[in-house]
Amino acid sequence: MGSDDRVSFTLNDRPVQAACPPERILLDLLREELRLTGTKRGCDLGTCGCCTVLIDGRPTLSCLTLARLVEARSVTTIEGVSPAQGLSAVQRAFVELGATQCGFCTPGFVMTATALLREHPHPSRSEIEQAISGNLCRCTGYLAIVRAIESAAGSAP
Amino acid sequence: MHLDPFELHRPTSVEETVGLARSLAGRFDYLAGGTDLLPNYKMHLNLRPHLVALEAVPELTGHSLERLGAMSRLADLERDPALAAAWPALADALREVATPLVRASGTVGGNLLVETRCFFFNQSYFWRASLGFCLKADGDRCHVVPQKTTCYATFSGDLAPALLVGDAEVEIAGPTGRRRIPLTGLYDAGGDGIRRLTLQPGELLVAVHLPPRARGRRGRYLKLRVRPAYDFPELGVAVAGRWDGDGRVQELRLAVGGAEPHPRTFDDLTAPLEGQRLNDARRAALGEEVARRVRPVHNTFLVPEYRKKMVAVFVRRALAQAEEGRAA
Ligand SMILES: Cc1cc2nc3c(=O)[nH]c(=O)nc-3n(C[C@H](O)[C@H](O)[C@H](O)COP(=O)(O)OP(=O)(O)OC[C@H]3O[C@@H](n4cnc5c(N)ncnc54)[C@H](O)[C@@H]3O)c2cc1C
Ligand code: SF4
Ligand code: FES
Ligand code: FES
Repeated sequence: MGSDDRVSFTLNDRPVQAACPPERILLDLLREELRLTGTKRGCDLGTCGCCTVLIDGRPTLSCLTLARLVEARSVTTIEGVSPAQGLSAVQRAFVELGATQCGFCTPGFVMTATALLREHPHPSRSEIEQAISGNLCRCTGYLAIVRAIESAAGSAP
Repeated sequence: MHLDPFELHRPTSVEETVGLARSLAGRFDYLAGGTDLLPNYKMHLNLRPHLVALEAVPELTGHSLERLGAMSRLADLERDPALAAAWPALADALREVATPLVRASGTVGGNLLVETRCFFFNQSYFWRASLGFCLKADGDRCHVVPQKTTCYATFSGDLAPALLVGDAEVEIAGPTGRRRIPLTGLYDAGGDGIRRLTLQPGELLVAVHLPPRARGRRGRYLKLRVRPAYDFPELGVAVAGRWDGDGRVQELRLAVGGAEPHPRTFDDLTAPLEGQRLNDARRAALGEEVARRVRPVHNTFLVPEYRKKMVAVFVRRALAQAEEGRAA
């Protein structure tokens, strides 16, 4: 690979370049180098979904992604989902329907839900439950989260 | 958790990849989706100084009804209705692997070659150092069956049984050229939880081939696990077959994974059933015989006695459900 230890990619619609040794994990690059701490570290092992980001539109666990392999790709984090003013439809639904309590899992759920609604603007309840089955929440009991995603469905996510 | 430093390589063809493999002889791991390898690296399990990332090798990507590139992402396969209709046991298994987020990155090749698992192996470095290391990483004993030579770590991939009952073959590229073998031959039946594959040093899995003669068999994959959202299999049973208009078996395959260091088939038990009608008694007898042969050990959440009993139950259920065609 490129001999200089750097990575260049599009982050929330802006080009970025960062120092990045091969062993750097994307989650660590985002949080520690680029100071985007909206993406959370839960388990760090692929189980909880707190670290979900979109890579070329696809929901991806940033704790299991080598940062160097997002070279030339487009990464969207929770910081990049809101429009210039206010919140996205998914974010608004989470707030209005009480789908967030401690909030630690919320960025991951919002990213997963955003990707789901782009693929299926009108998912069934069971499609929603399936889609979020890799995101763990220890507070809400999931019902409010499912309702929030249902309510955001149909509006531009 | 930060990873220890390694060098990262990103070849763009199969030839370049196996060339790199030759020059890095034994000092590297291939990196596909990384959903198995990177958690293990985070726990300091058998680190190597080089990683060869496979994502930029075009020949490994893409799929059809006959061929799954090794780098096909599970999430993409899962979204292909034609594939699901043609290979129902595979469709079941795809839905059961990990979580949708893991499947977005996880690949077919990585799934067939997933590292074997054990309660005493899949632990942090600190945990393992405290108890004492084991044969599979850094140590010289086994905590499950105390002795000095054999590892009983469990093969925990979901796709292998489902592909075995589709008579799948694997295409392998290595420093000395290419070969194609039945999927059964990828796993070393005489090996153990450490020496578990027949791959030669540096060999790369290129693709899985799905033979048209097995396409459209009815099939089912049933998985036993504790938490349905994301646990690895404690047992996986796959069945595929054809039945004639009178309900007589024309062909039948059965495979079991998640219970021993390698997945396996039971052709000697299923072949004699061809030409017969399956009833409750025959299904139960087959289930008992398979359960008699499968030997789980105590290295996962559920106790081996229970998993063994469930082999019989799952074989019975999978057979009945496959015959009913409740697969897709
Ligand atoms: C939370 C969690 C839950 C999981 N649950 C399950 C489960 O229920 N069922 C299940 O089957 N798996 C499960 N997994 C394991 C894993 O996600 C899947 O098996 C996945 O398909 C592995 O694919 P990968 O591309 O990510 O493999 P990688 O991690 O990239 O590779 C796995 C191994 O295969 C080797 N390899 C990969 N591709 C090739 C190739 N083409 N040629 C030669 N060697 C190769 C690698 O060197 C490595 O040793 C889980 C993982 C996590 C994190
Ligand atoms: S079966 Fe024994 S040697 Fe193998 S991983 Fe478990 S403890 Fe280690
Ligand atoms: S932090 Fe990535 S899945 Fe838990
Ligand atoms: S709101 Fe606390 S973990 Fe989900």
